Amino acid sequence: MIKLDNVSLVFEGGSVALSNITTSVNEGEFVYLIGHSGSGKSSLLKLLYKDFAPTKGDIDVAGIDVVKLPKWKIPILRRKIGIVTQEPQLLDTRNAFENIAFALEVMGTPTDEVESKTNTLIDLVELNENAFKFPSQLSGGEQTRVSIARALANNPLILLCDEPTGNLDPDLSIQIVSLLEKINRAGTTVVMATHDSSIVNRRKKRVIELSQGKLKRDEDEGSYLRI
Amino acid sequence: MNKFSYVIKNTFVNMKRSPLLVFATIIAILVSSFLVFTTLSARTIVENNTLRWQNGTHVVIFLDDRVTTTAHKQLQTSIENYPEVRTVEYFTKSEAADEFKLLFKDQPELLSQVNYEILPSSLRVNLNDPSDYEFIIERTQGNPAVKEIRTSGEAIDRLLGLTDTLVVTATAFAILIGFAAFILIINTMRLTAYSKLKEIKIMRLLGASATYIRLPFLIEAVIESLIGTSIAVGLGWGVIEYTKNSIISEGIFDINISDSYLINLTLLMIIFSFVFGMVASFIGIRRALND
Repeated sequence: MIKLDNVSLVFEGGSVALSNITTSVNEGEFVYLIGHSGSGKSSLLKLLYKDFAPTKGDIDVAGIDVVKLPKWKIPILRRKIGIVTQEPQLLDTRNAFENIAFALEVMGTPTDEVESKTNTLIDLVELNENAFKFPSQLSGGEQTRVSIARALANNPLILLCDEPTGNLDPDLSIQIVSLLEKINRAGTTVVMATHDSSIVNRRKKRVIELSQGKLKRDEDEGSYLRI
Repeated sequence: MNKFSYVIKNTFVNMKRSPLLVFATIIAILVSSFLVFTTLSARTIVENNTLRWQNGTHVVIFLDDRVTTTAHKQLQTSIENYPEVRTVEYFTKSEAADEFKLLFKDQPELLSQVNYEILPSSLRVNLNDPSDYEFIIERTQGNPAVKEIRTSGEAIDRLLGLTDTLVVTATAFAILIGFAAFILIINTMRLTAYSKLKEIKIMRLLGASATYIRLPFLIEAVIESLIGTSIAVGLGWGVIEYTKNSIISEGIFDINISDSYLINLTLLMIIFSFVFGMVASFIGIRRALND
């Protein structure tokens, strides 16, 4: 589903974000991408949805050659991916329901299907009681749930989550991870960047660790620290 | 269908957010378009009038009464032989007096004070091509029978020169105001785009194409541009219709302009305003889309 072959990313000015990364993620996998702040987790995710272009190497996402993909075709790639950012990026003037419906409208969902599909997504992320609250009235965890529901609006093959629990307390973080695992069980490949060791150690999933832009380790059922 | 309704809905939401800017943009486009429409129409009206005069008298040669009428007749014959000349008519002193009385019949005081003896006889020359009047001047000037030469060609040239000056001045103003309208649209689009930066960012993450994100902005600019131009063209048509029935057209100046010309000009301006709006909005949101 995702393949990176000898991928490097060097920013203008010479700062190396990623260096010779080679790895792959299979369809239906749940992968934690871990590492300290500045290790290159976010940069790697941004390469996958072509927010950044690599300095060298090849990237394949859902059968699309990301490196050769022209700028005007980037939306085709992004329609196959759901993206959850650390900041939920919700529209303040719309309630939770409308924020999710907005994504469906943008994706061209027929008007008569928007409401039912939004309700399905709200059920999935368990936001029924707060569906008509505005972002300012929602907790951090609830905002993240809205953000996840929005990312799922176009039935993505892959869900890329960039530290979705970064601003949440441990209990809420566990709830969000449980939700992501539920989505994964339904068949969506999930890559979640995090530096939350408690989650990673507890869930025992595949772990890819980056350190100073290099691939430090890649383990099935890994943990945050080597034991 | 839903995508389209989203675009339309957002277009009007954007316009409702900054009504004053929208109004200012429409006004600037209106003034600019009105100037362009009226000056181009005025230029055509002047051209049509000068064309009308082509069948009249192009050169008037006032004759010196101190030379004999034989000399006058010799001059007439020689002018009649010029290849550029269509006809030459001899206008006697009494005919000149009659014409003067006719022209100034509304001013009896002036007529009572004029000594008709000073009005000279003249040759009224009609040319095949009115622009050849200078040849006649060159060939007849210095002839003892000639007192003074007047040409309608000079008048036409002066009128066209004046019109050209007006057209250049009005066009310069139109361009200036048009540029202001262009900047206003860019600014309006940029402000709207920046106020919706988060929305644009989400749309891009969701996989909306750049064209789709641009559409509400493009449509807004095109709507503003078309409204301004349509009102301007409507006003322009109104002014022309009003002027046709006014005192100006009752004199020698005929407000003569064809409907087909006005329709073509209207279509041209509508097409231009469409492109104008598209280009301005494209530039306006370019930076916001690249952020």
